[in-house]
Amino acid sequence: MTDAAPGPTQPTEGRAGPDVQVEAAFTCRGLTLGYGDHVVVRDLDLEFPEKRITAIIGPSGCGKSTLVRTLNRMNDFIPSFTKAGTCLYRGVELYDPSLDPVLLRRQVGMVFQKPNPFPKTILQNVTWGPMINGYTGDLRELAVESLQKAALWGEVAARLDQPALSLSGGQQQRLCIARTLAMQPDVILMDEPCSSLDPVSTSRIEELMDSLRERYTIVIVTHNMQQAARISDLTAFLEGGDLVEFGDTDQIFTRPLYKRTEDYVTGRFG
Amino acid sequence: MTSLGLGDNAHLFQANLEQRRRRSARFRRACSAFTWLGVGTLFVLLGQILYQGAAWLGWDFLTSFASRFPSRAGIFAALVGTLWLIVTTAAISIPVGVAAAIYLEEYAPRTRLTRFLELNISNLAGVPSIVYGLLGLAVFVRWLSLERSVISGALTMSVLILPVIVTAAREALRAVPPSLRDAALGVGATRWQCTWHHVIPQALPGILTGVILAISRVFGETAPLLVIGLPIFVSRTPSGLGDSFTVLPLQIYNWTQRPNHEFQNLAAAGIIVLLVVLLLTNLVAVVLRQRTETES
Repeated sequence: MTDAAPGPTQPTEGRAGPDVQVEAAFTCRGLTLGYGDHVVVRDLDLEFPEKRITAIIGPSGCGKSTLVRTLNRMNDFIPSFTKAGTCLYRGVELYDPSLDPVLLRRQVGMVFQKPNPFPKTILQNVTWGPMINGYTGDLRELAVESLQKAALWGEVAARLDQPALSLSGGQQQRLCIARTLAMQPDVILMDEPCSSLDPVSTSRIEELMDSLRERYTIVIVTHNMQQAARISDLTAFLEGGDLVEFGDTDQIFTRPLYKRTEDYVTGRFG
Repeated sequence: MTSLGLGDNAHLFQANLEQRRRRSARFRRACSAFTWLGVGTLFVLLGQILYQGAAWLGWDFLTSFASRFPSRAGIFAALVGTLWLIVTTAAISIPVGVAAAIYLEEYAPRTRLTRFLELNISNLAGVPSIVYGLLGLAVFVRWLSLERSVISGALTMSVLILPVIVTAAREALRAVPPSLRDAALGVGATRWQCTWHHVIPQALPGILTGVILAISRVFGETAPLLVIGLPIFVSRTPSGLGDSFTVLPLQIYNWTQRPNHEFQNLAAAGIIVLLVVLLLTNLVAVVLRQRTETES
């Protein structure tokens, strides 16, 4: 305990890459996703390491959203959705019959593209999830804590009983993050969480994500190259349903292995 | 000629503003004329009925049973019978209709069978009501031996209005944004919790609108009940679902068929009562709907 030497967790090179030994939260092997006969993601091999922020980038229609919505089985409700190959969550196949999707979604939370708070009060938005999942602690305490983590507490402390829809777009999105945090998830999936927000709100969400780093596994889909470069540890570049490149964010943005990646991240495409 | 725009082709625009304005004004006048034509006709009819029947209205009229003598005739049995029919029909058709709509919208897989079902539900809304009367007579009155009772009438009416309720409730459920379902399911809600806590409250105003329309129809429907063979002269009010009864439109229809001129006036008075009861019921429903709207 009195050892003065810097701990092994001290970040020296900035970000840990796939070469660093980290447990994988999700392991996709030969994962193919589609709707009906239309294949959206083809033969994907990808590992999402734990306690890291992994960004998925790529042009519209490359399958980013489909992939991230597979990770907590939100695609179950699209009748034509098809899946082949495997995707393991902590070693368990996501679509194994023994895995209850309700339990999975409780552990793998999701923040959506458009802020979608419940048309209820601010407080109820945060407490509803824990309540229906049988949380036995103090719901209000949990809500306060979650709102604090989501950097929203200061703005809503005096108005918890007001409708959530009276908040601004950026505040609503942070409320949605608080709602997800209240579930004490292992993983947070974010599907373009800032696409409908102004730059100030976007930077607040990014600060928030930065504060959640180390504690949560975060997978974020983004169209914003700078955002991916700023906040993620790892970046996966998808194009036309294929994984083109996956590696350290620094490497992807400064020394991409493929020309397609370079063209995309430098803005020559998409 | 000076052009208004700055572009190279700006002179090619022929604004023709004068004619466009005239057309706009003509369209507006036409719409308002048709509106007043409809409303005006309605008011003339209402005025005629009020003029004819107002004098016959009174406490006695409301509390007396039917009679051969116009001066002693009243609509008590029909009024009570209508209320029995409405309440029973609502109790049957609302749960069944809303549940069917929830199943079709939220759970049913999109197979050929469900598509066939959906198509048929829309078609059923267009079937003449007398056909439902024949169905009610064959199935409820004869086959199930329910006789010409409140329950027979209510079941027949339920079958009649179910398509309306199902269709309206489905529209309301479909209008609930998918993002709300995503939000609920995303925090680990079951399908039931998502539907019960979020989807139904959000769709409730729309569902209630459908219910109001459907129930209003029950007030006025005569043909199916005529086919079932409800009696006109009922000397007591029903005290249970198995009792015989009659309804307002049937009583009114009967009076209009009489040669005696005074019965025509009684019919007018009956129509006024029917309209007032209908208005009161709808008022309750509208207030209920507005309350659910402001809550969410």
